[in-house]
Amino acid sequence: MSEQEAYEPRIIAFLCKWCSSAGSDLAGVSRIQYPANATPITVMCTGAISPMYILSAFNKGADGVLVSGCHLGDCHYMEGNYLARRKIHLVKELLEFIGVEPNRFRMSWVSAAEGAKYAQVIKDFVADLKPLGPQEKLSRTKPEAEHL
Amino acid sequence: MINLQDLRDTARDLLAKGEARAVIGFRRGSRGMAAEPAFITRPEEADELVWDPTCVHNLALYLVEDRKFLAHNRAAPGLPIAIVAKGCDARAIVVLMQEHYFKREDVYIIGVSCEGTGVVDERKLAVHLNGAVASNAVFDGDDYVFTTVQGEKRLAARDVMADRCLECREPFPREHNAVLGENKTGRELAAPFTALARFETLSATERWTYWERQFDRCIRCFACRSVCPMCFCDECVVDSITFPVTAQTTAEEKANRIRWIERSATRSENITYHMTRAMHLAGRCVDCGECERVCPVNIPLRLLNNKMEREARERFGYEPGASIGGASLVGSFRDEDPGSFIR
Repeated sequence: MSEQEAYEPRIIAFLCKWCSSAGSDLAGVSRIQYPANATPITVMCTGAISPMYILSAFNKGADGVLVSGCHLGDCHYMEGNYLARRKIHLVKELLEFIGVEPNRFRMSWVSAAEGAKYAQVIKDFVADLKPLGPQEKLSRTKPEAEHL
Repeated sequence: MINLQDLRDTARDLLAKGEARAVIGFRRGSRGMAAEPAFITRPEEADELVWDPTCVHNLALYLVEDRKFLAHNRAAPGLPIAIVAKGCDARAIVVLMQEHYFKREDVYIIGVSCEGTGVVDERKLAVHLNGAVASNAVFDGDDYVFTTVQGEKRLAARDVMADRCLECREPFPREHNAVLGENKTGRELAAPFTALARFETLSATERWTYWERQFDRCIRCFACRSVCPMCFCDECVVDSITFPVTAQTTAEEKANRIRWIERSATRSENITYHMTRAMHLAGRCVDCGECERVCPVNIPLRLLNNKMEREARERFGYEPGASIGGASLVGSFRDEDPGSFIR
């Protein structure tokens, strides 16, 4: 097996407790097959995600970061995802501004009923990340070093 | 043209009538022509105040320091503190008040309009003076006049003024108690975000090569943080030595504190530091350009902050320092905010 084929991107997925986290559960109990590259971190709301979490994930060696929350209007806290949309937009623009590949950072809306969509989001993300190779720009660890 | 005597009289009156406990302004410094911040508490000191092209500092920083000093001494503000504020300084003060750092009645803003001539950039000036050292600088219409050993040197302001002044949209302090000089808002020497627009024509790879080189040089002296009036946290998330330690803090507690990033001046940590800072300044940075001016290794920090400022302006219709009562950039939203990037 060549080195390119062996590479599996490591994704940190910040999932909203009320929707995407349950969505990922549904994907699991529905026995939907999807890549096991994502490490889920459940947060109470996407609006509670500090840009520091995202930068820190990249800093500690994540190849991609996903933020996933409730569809607009469905936020458990009424407006958390609206606030997140604005904040995440700024983080995304800033990452692209310094030259990080746009495909390394992604946001999605996945409800608790959308297990299939969650699987698809992860599949697409992994497919997009593979050609990019390991993320070395913001990472403090060398890719050949032990993970995290 | 601002009459210097008016500025001094205003300051003297405030102190003499007991309307302010101190005036923060500029006075002649000990390094050549450069002005330095002055803290005046007695009416007779008012004649020390100056106003010239070297008054580059954003004095709003000292309002923050004063507030911290009062808090440390558990003292009530009492009389307001007066401050000489340019357009950008006044916007910074508005942002601080918007964030309830101090109240409007605690500050007396003596606005000074830059009148389209801005302030000098010493690095640009050094090129024009060709090795000579200026000992004095004055405004004269659209020019600056410098005194050097070879005699007077007149330079067009736009040739030696700081980049941020060239791109400034509002050189007039909108929020003020008293104001000196004419309102010349609307004059444009260079379109806002000129440098940013030029930088953005580069490809992603070129942008990365550029930033990689810049961030490799950062020595993490934190001068940008120290000079910034918006960086007022006592505890800085990116700097573990600022985390409070008391006699009761145990070694375990210290060891277990989350260190989001390390203090080492390596590229990855430097990038994360500067990106965090840019995010923390999004919608708050008033583009006073102090971070870039004080950087000992000349990292173009304004580019990062300008990027956030332009996003806020163009995508969210948000202008930092526009209103004291308004919502903050990341604390508000509109239905029409861009969302097409979300899957």
